[in-house]
Amino acid sequence: MLQVERLEVDAGEVLVILGPNGAGKSSLIKCLLGLARANAGEARVLGRAVRPSSGASLRNLRRRVGYVPQVLAAHSETPLTVREVAAIGRTGRAGLFRPLNAADWAIVDDWLGRLGLGSLADAPYAGLSGGEQRKTLIAKAMVQQPELLLLDEPTANLDLYWREQIVALLERLYAETGATIVLVCHELEAIPPCCRRLLVLSDGRPVADGAPETVLDRRMIDALYGSRLKLLADGRRYAAVPAGEEGA
Amino acid sequence: MDLLFWLPVICCGALAGASTGLLGAYIVGMRIPFLGICVSHAALAGAVFGGLFGLAGPWLLLPALAGAVIAALLLGMLDPESTRVDSNVLMGILFSLTLGLAFLGLGVYDIRGISKNDILNLLWGNLNFCRWSDFYLMVTAAVLEIIVIAAFYKELRAILFSRVHAAAAGVPVSLVWTAFLILTSVVLTVNFQTVGGLMIYSLLTNPAVAAFLLVKGYGRALALSAVFGLLSGLGGFLLAKATDLPTGAMIVILSSLIVALAWAISASRSRAGR
Repeated sequence: MLQVERLEVDAGEVLVILGPNGAGKSSLIKCLLGLARANAGEARVLGRAVRPSSGASLRNLRRRVGYVPQVLAAHSETPLTVREVAAIGRTGRAGLFRPLNAADWAIVDDWLGRLGLGSLADAPYAGLSGGEQRKTLIAKAMVQQPELLLLDEPTANLDLYWREQIVALLERLYAETGATIVLVCHELEAIPPCCRRLLVLSDGRPVADGAPETVLDRRMIDALYGSRLKLLADGRRYAAVPAGEEGA
Repeated sequence: MDLLFWLPVICCGALAGASTGLLGAYIVGMRIPFLGICVSHAALAGAVFGGLFGLAGPWLLLPALAGAVIAALLLGMLDPESTRVDSNVLMGILFSLTLGLAFLGLGVYDIRGISKNDILNLLWGNLNFCRWSDFYLMVTAAVLEIIVIAAFYKELRAILFSRVHAAAAGVPVSLVWTAFLILTSVVLTVNFQTVGGLMIYSLLTNPAVAAFLLVKGYGRALALSAVFGLLSGLGGFLLAKATDLPTGAMIVILSSLIVALAWAISASRSRAGR
């Protein structure tokens, strides 16, 4: 069960929520979007209470928040192109009974181009690699022109090349937009250099909150991953690597 | 062939194919093929209880529609995210419940000695018996289908991809999803009672599968699925008349052949692309 007494994220801040599987990271993100209901307490996003709120006000709030879920919604039956998937981000903002106009599609095409997906715009989404699909979902979130970006393990199930591509992309997005970013991950390697605050969750409770260089130490790595791993830090990038004989 | 006599049959076959093929693009894309079976048995339960309350003949369509729409509303209210149960499982539960209710009602028919022919005719119609009155009913359902799809075109595109993604982007998923389920229940119930269940089940999946194999893009997939449905309905009827074989079976076989052909084209394209 997720139990967070108080957590505030400032505008323009990049918060990474780190923790092992089952720590409650994804549940926290879903509570912020109203996709999961908290048993008690209050979640406020962009100054507004997520619950209780009417369907319309919750939808208005969600339109201001870009969300990249952990699970890729791709199966061979999906007939949508990359451009159409990215356009889902404009769908809520456009409102009912109004088709997406030229300005909406220009925003979609702009973000596809900025994320290096321009040449794949008319390609079937289901035929993309996992990394390209994840990029498309980030484009979908960005075309909402979000004030807050919520990313739930955006590097999950990706190889090292694509993990680094996504980390570099997040770094660039933050530099270009200055958006508030809340990123959930369970690997140290997925923490982008722009992250200046790290929250560690364990069994649903925060166990550390602060700058990555102060939070991440040997004791924390032991607590999170066991004594067989040790911390490597290079500038603002971190990794957990096998400790060798002395750490075993 | 007496064209004047068979013309309403030809029109009904073509329209059933096109309207069901169009709907099938969403049903296959959302991976909910069980919806057709769920809706048809809810309509059966509605018709059975309508008959017990004294309705007969074409009037049984009204309780059948009510049963299908109630099932659609229940499915709309049961959100897989909050219930933590997959949509297809929810449909399976609802299907068994409505089937149980239908058998319960049919048991009462036996006790009271009431004929069940009207009920069975309503749910398992035959294309060869379609008249212009059936065609007008199907046109009404098809117009409703076009209005709903046009009104929620972009929202349905988002939901087709993922209901979670659509909801997270601020799309009114509950409203659009419920509207889609009601539309499905109306279109399928009307088509079941005119052209028959076997044909509808095949038209609900085969044209969409073939379309998805050949084209990518939402609008193109919808259009091609409707065209394949129309070709199956029309071509199946003409083949049946030419060979003097059963119409429903020929439509099902033709739509299956279209899938096989689409698969062969798709496979040869993949090989050429390597």
